[in-house]
Amino acid sequence: MTRVSRRVFVRMGAAGAAAAPWVLDPFAIGAATITARQVFERIQRFAGVEWKAVTVDGFKAGDPSTAVTGIVTSALATLDVLRRAVKAGANLIVTAGPTFYSRDDSATPAAGRGRSAAAPAPDPVFAAKSEFIRANQLVVWRFSDHWRLRSPDPFAAGLADALGWARYAADGDPGRLMVPAVTLDALAARVKSRLEARGGVRVVGRPQTRVRTIGVLPGTRSIQETVALLPHVDAVIAGEIREWESSEYARDVVNAGLGKGLILIGRSLSEEAGMKMCADWLRPIVREAPVRWLTAGDPYWRPTV
Amino acid sequence: MTAGEVVDRIKRNLGAPWRENTYRDTFKSGTPETPVTGIATTVFASFDVIQRAVAAGLNMIIPHEVTFWNDRDDKSLVETDPLVYQQKLAYLVAQNVVVFRTHDSMHDQRPDFTFVGSAREIGLDAKYETSPGSHRFILPETTLGALAASVQRRTGARALRVVGDPNARVSRIQLGVGYATAAANTADVDVVISGEQQEVDGVLDSPEYVLDAAALGIPKGWIMLGHAVSEESGMLEMAEWIRGFVPEVPVQLVKAGEPFWTPK
Repeated sequence: MTRVSRRVFVRMGAAGAAAAPWVLDPFAIGAATITARQVFERIQRFAGVEWKAVTVDGFKAGDPSTAVTGIVTSALATLDVLRRAVKAGANLIVTAGPTFYSRDDSATPAAGRGRSAAAPAPDPVFAAKSEFIRANQLVVWRFSDHWRLRSPDPFAAGLADALGWARYAADGDPGRLMVPAVTLDALAARVKSRLEARGGVRVVGRPQTRVRTIGVLPGTRSIQETVALLPHVDAVIAGEIREWESSEYARDVVNAGLGKGLILIGRSLSEEAGMKMCADWLRPIVREAPVRWLTAGDPYWRPTV
Repeated sequence: MTAGEVVDRIKRNLGAPWRENTYRDTFKSGTPETPVTGIATTVFASFDVIQRAVAAGLNMIIPHEVTFWNDRDDKSLVETDPLVYQQKLAYLVAQNVVVFRTHDSMHDQRPDFTFVGSAREIGLDAKYETSPGSHRFILPETTLGALAASVQRRTGARALRVVGDPNARVSRIQLGVGYATAAANTADVDVVISGEQQEVDGVLDSPEYVLDAAALGIPKGWIMLGHAVSEESGMLEMAEWIRGFVPEVPVQLVKAGEPFWTPK
């Protein structure tokens, strides 16, 4: 650990343990240094899943040989999350979502993107984000494909936990919850409140439908996955779906008179709790640096009409 | 008047070449030989729409979007569903309902009624459009918050979603429809208004881009009406257009409506 980063930790510790309780962890202020690449290697070793040849996971920005001062996990490496990470003294961001606004995660807009195939003009948002990462010597590493391969699915487990219903996981599977009876309306309100959603929660179904079994589908999910799950539960809580697929299917199911519901919360919000869980998982395996989760928040709002 | 004759007249009046290899604009239910008692246009051939069309004496549905919950209306993807698939299929057969989708042809047509309808409903007046068919509108400067409130009021979209700083000052609007949604970083555009767009892992993830733009004080906005709300309005223009060359039977819009509601 570098002299500078140790000063940062001391300053943060003085500012209040409540704001950064991990600074009091003797291991966190320990003598050992770890690089971003070593963190990645340790994750690979402990993840217990086979590493894919083709994956979105990997380093997206910064120098992997950078000594890590602190680790932040988040559903989405937004500029706001990066700024708060720097304030917290962290320089390695472990994100579930892309950094540069696409699956490719290229630090400049790709040619042909958007409406014209011409080389794109310099983009002020891409440029400012790259510059912020460079100026603060941040490293961003994406952890999406492999984190969700773990069993049980940490994104489902995180959601169940965030809803306060981890103990209701059916047969230990957090993707299937058996909860005390609740109306779809009350369930949607609970989801909104517990996940601190703003405008991201959308519901298909009759508000008074009685829900006792819930299927959880975090991330971006297909019609086949919804068709495979909804028949076996009263309601499905999903991240992102295509609207010509799962929401129309749910609408038809409901209009056939069946008491079912579909609650959509958005991809990013559906992965928040799973990345909080990721911080808890990382902490004991990377004792050289403090680990904390930062919320990226619900991207969506709607007008109050 | 058979369903096949209705489709022939649509092709003849389209004013654009028919895509012979389209998998979208095909019969999804019924046969071309079926006599037509009336035509319902709609955005989605939902079970509810089909039942209301039948109740109104209309046995031919012309949806812009799908019937069996996937883009190809590939039944093999959904036929294992025990809840509603068989029931919907049986109802279509029992009521002798014809479903013919007009998607690609509608977007090939000029004007594209999906844009016409959505602009009409949102209140994007043609006098603000930079050129006919650009779908780009320069409005008197307003805030993203005021614009979103106006869009919600006019469309009635309960579950509309917005990203961006409500106080951002905006005037340059790019209208999209359905999933044909411009990237938020399109040059010279402040706000993209459309139906639906992939949130993460797309070609350009507009929600994250707009969040970062807002963090930098760059005025950007993203207003999604939802796919159904975005493309249903133009099915009114579609019904009027078909009525013009199919005078033999009633033609009307049967709204699928917005599928979503939002919790308090």
